Amino acid sequence: MIINDTITALATVPGISGIAVIRMSGDDAVKIVSNCFRGSAPLMEAERNTIHFGKIYSKNYLMDSVLVSVFRNPHSYTGEDTIEISCHGGNTTYSLIIDELISQGARQAEPGEFTKRAFINGKLDLLQAEAVSDMIHSVSVSGSIISARQLHSGISTKIKKFRQILLDACSLVELDSDFSDEDIEIINRKDLKEKAEEVLNFCTSLIESFNSAKIFRSGFYVAIAGFPNSGKSTLFNSLLGRNRAIVSQTPGTTRDYLEESILVSGVAVKLFDTAGLRETEDAIEIEGINFSHSVLSQANIIFVLNDISISEEHSDSLYKKIQEDYLAQKVYLIQNKVDRLPSLPEINKNAYISAKYGEGLPDLFNIIRTEIEKNKANINDILINERHLILLKGAAEAIRRAISELDYLSPNEIIAIELHDAARYFGEMTGQAWNEEVLNNIFSKFCIGK
Amino acid sequence: MNKDNKYDIVVIGGGHAGIEAAAIAAKMKCKTALLTMDFKTIGVPSCNPSIGGTAKGHLVKEIDALGGAMGFLADQAGIHFKMLNISKGPAIWSPRCQIDKDLYPQVALKYLQSLKYLDLVEGLVKEVKLIKKKIYSIICNNGTELTAKSLIICSGTFLNGKMFTGRDVSVGGRFGEQSSENLSDLLENYGIKRGRLKTGTPPRISAESIDYGRLDIQAGDMNPAPFSYLSNKVENKVLCFQTETNEDVHTELRKGFGDSPMFNGIIKGIGPRYCPSIEDKINRFADRDGHKIILEPEGLNTNSVYVNGFSTSLPKEVQINALRKIRGLKKCEILRYGYAIEYDFFYPYQLKYTLESKILPNLYFAGQINGTSGYEEAACQGLIAGINAAAKIKKLDDLVLKRSDAYIGVLIDDLVNKSTEEPYRIFTSSAEYRLLLRQDNAKYRLCDYAMKYKLIPKERYNQLKSEQNIIEESLFETKNIKIKADDINSYFIQIGETTLIDSTDINTLSKRPGVSLEHLINMTNAKPKSLSSIIKNKELLNILNIEIKYEGYINRQKKEIERFLHNEEKRIPVNFEYNSLSSLSNEAREKLMKIKPESLGQASRISGVTSSDISVIALFLR
Repeated sequence: MIINDTITALATVPGISGIAVIRMSGDDAVKIVSNCFRGSAPLMEAERNTIHFGKIYSKNYLMDSVLVSVFRNPHSYTGEDTIEISCHGGNTTYSLIIDELISQGARQAEPGEFTKRAFINGKLDLLQAEAVSDMIHSVSVSGSIISARQLHSGISTKIKKFRQILLDACSLVELDSDFSDEDIEIINRKDLKEKAEEVLNFCTSLIESFNSAKIFRSGFYVAIAGFPNSGKSTLFNSLLGRNRAIVSQTPGTTRDYLEESILVSGVAVKLFDTAGLRETEDAIEIEGINFSHSVLSQANIIFVLNDISISEEHSDSLYKKIQEDYLAQKVYLIQNKVDRLPSLPEINKNAYISAKYGEGLPDLFNIIRTEIEKNKANINDILINERHLILLKGAAEAIRRAISELDYLSPNEIIAIELHDAARYFGEMTGQAWNEEVLNNIFSKFCIGK
Repeated sequence: MNKDNKYDIVVIGGGHAGIEAAAIAAKMKCKTALLTMDFKTIGVPSCNPSIGGTAKGHLVKEIDALGGAMGFLADQAGIHFKMLNISKGPAIWSPRCQIDKDLYPQVALKYLQSLKYLDLVEGLVKEVKLIKKKIYSIICNNGTELTAKSLIICSGTFLNGKMFTGRDVSVGGRFGEQSSENLSDLLENYGIKRGRLKTGTPPRISAESIDYGRLDIQAGDMNPAPFSYLSNKVENKVLCFQTETNEDVHTELRKGFGDSPMFNGIIKGIGPRYCPSIEDKINRFADRDGHKIILEPEGLNTNSVYVNGFSTSLPKEVQINALRKIRGLKKCEILRYGYAIEYDFFYPYQLKYTLESKILPNLYFAGQINGTSGYEEAACQGLIAGINAAAKIKKLDDLVLKRSDAYIGVLIDDLVNKSTEEPYRIFTSSAEYRLLLRQDNAKYRLCDYAMKYKLIPKERYNQLKSEQNIIEESLFETKNIKIKADDINSYFIQIGETTLIDSTDINTLSKRPGVSLEHLINMTNAKPKSLSSIIKNKELLNILNIEIKYEGYINRQKKEIERFLHNEEKRIPVNFEYNSLSSLSNEAREKLMKIKPESLGQASRISGVTSSDISVIALFLR
């Protein structure tokens, strides 16, 4: 068994950048780098947690000036001797250095292999490894913070507590089956049901918080909809603060939808400009309108834009229809092009803006901010991911079945099957119950270099 | 007896494990000798006069399905038969019978004597030698010498047995019998690790001294069913009686705690948590004001009555004073006082799944020596050890029952992987797939294994296969027979069920609680082939009923079994270097190196090995 062969990979995103970081881990990490590194002192004797300036050579040919960070086993991310080489960015330098390291005996790392080693060497537990993956994939500041919290502290305490409640309930049921002819107290089915309901409530509240927490992982979606030529693309550009969409007088200019991100309240807000909604025979435009609907169905907020210069009620029917079709979304009617009115209507029913001149835009940002804060308020300190969600749903279903079997006066062994099932889902969430697929999923999501 | 005393297999010990091991090896045509201290004590029930019970009844049915003796012997010596847990789900229905404790050893002896390949030999082992790593030589105190290719040790509680009543200590393996001192030391000298366990037995009282008028009757079943397919009919011949302890009884018992070997540290072995002594019970469940007591007659020709639930090693005068405070026992006389017994056992992680020692070749251990408690637990190990010892000699495959096959598989898997800290007893909750491992289908579950080793006759096998077929086809047929709403609604109104609107198949209908499958089949005019034959067979009909009612859950458990088997097939190399994985906990590493699991699945069941340990190994194996 060779566990500590030395692996290497680029740890930063490839492409144009100021610096790039190459990571190496394994028994020979220091030796391999020192073979091609020339600095003021030999690298082999370098203490742990030190940084060294020097040059990387390949067969006496200078490749780059670099900073080399030395981490010594077990005080490193992987628990092995680890080197991080900070070299200049760009597409060629790092790959030449990696080629050199490989020719010196290192091996290209597989996706997630650094984290896998950290796990095998006991530096991370399964949940922490998962949190690392979530952090990399998080699109928001808060998302990373919550993942980081998960990484450093045990968020699983709560889940473990409820798992224990389930396991205790199981053993009571088992006791009742196995000691029926002896004199150990028989379970009270009413108490059992109450316990099951307590756990079920926990599951459903976590599932609800997932929907809120989704904005931290995938972002908060704001879609702009409306009739053609209501000024959607103009608003899109204004919110974005730059010209991204093509703006023209011709209705139906936006055929596809456009997507861009801005940061609001620490959350990535994805703005969608959609094709104008109208009856049309143009095949491309119809396709665009179909796209619009798929975007709307994923949105958190839909702004229905009305051209007030036509009439304030011009889009009312469309607004009503969208409200009915998209029940899960917050739909706002926005009156645009107020710059074309001599004066604002006396009774302010809606938001009034001029996308073109930026009037009223702070109101729109306030709407977005308020919705984001509402979502944040729904989240406790447990942030669950898709995998947890699936497990929680499984657990909730099992408990619901257990409750209905209890109502049905089904035998103990049936109740036990459901409770064990629910406990298993909980166990897989915290890593207390072993499941191969979990392992595969967690480590397959990683990119190379992590 | 064999003239040269050369045997294929020698079984040491004539208890419940020894009987099965010797009988099955002889049935598999190996020249076998059963070595016992005394022919008359073969199969003596040392403790309770009953066979079966919750989960233990399942074991007896499985033993019978694999051609073992226990069910058949119990039927012959049985005097009171009862299916337990009948008010609960079908997975935990468990047959039990009271046996005549004098008759049981007689029928056991007669059974063993009838086996052509088996010799019974009297003697107490003085020395065991392994010659050239091939042949075991066994020398007895009385000068008898035997040799064997394989040796099966089923010595029960007799290894360095010590009995305790109050401060009185005596040496022996059972009341009035000597213990075996040499054997345990011999095995330890070979490097096999041993420990110490404790169990106990309640007092026996005389029938004439019991005031039966003040007790509750516990009768056997109306239509008692035998354990074994070889038995035609069994009969109830006695009644059992129920009473309970009370505060006065507990007060009396507490007076003796100072002299209890359990509490004053004289007994060092660890006792069973689940079959606790009465002093343990009142200590542990201090808030309970009474514990159930069952009075079980020990036979037809004896006045000895077993006081079930009153296992104790308290001083004699405490036992009698406490008993006399129990309802119906005011004037009771003790025939034999309760006692605790402490004995050597050998840690079962030193065994393979075949029950062969990992340390010495062709040496098998079965029964209480492996740290189990109970006749049934012992018997099934004897059977598996016997089959495997014989199979090895006949160059056949090992017989390893999986957790998804049988309670026997669960038991042996637990023994090998879970460290025994107390005597191991089987439970229905030990079996993950218990909806499938029922007592009613044991014969079907195991018939392919039984046939493979020719443990049951071919005709029996064919019959079982055809019965299985009928059940499966019937299940299918019920899904295709529909009953019209008009035809069934009057029945539903009568039993208080929701009435039907559309015609519905009888499979769906019979899943409703309270609806009788039999009634539904009888209502069907043109019955298909299998249903028309199953309706005449109560036993098969009952199984069909279970298979329909719990179909969803049964199918789920089958799915789980697939997952389980998948992990059983993930092999771990024998030379896997657990030492090189620094993140394994010390306990896990130590256990893994000791047990050397064959698969990831097995590793995950070793006590002290956590799921994160398993994840580390799994990642490493990829």
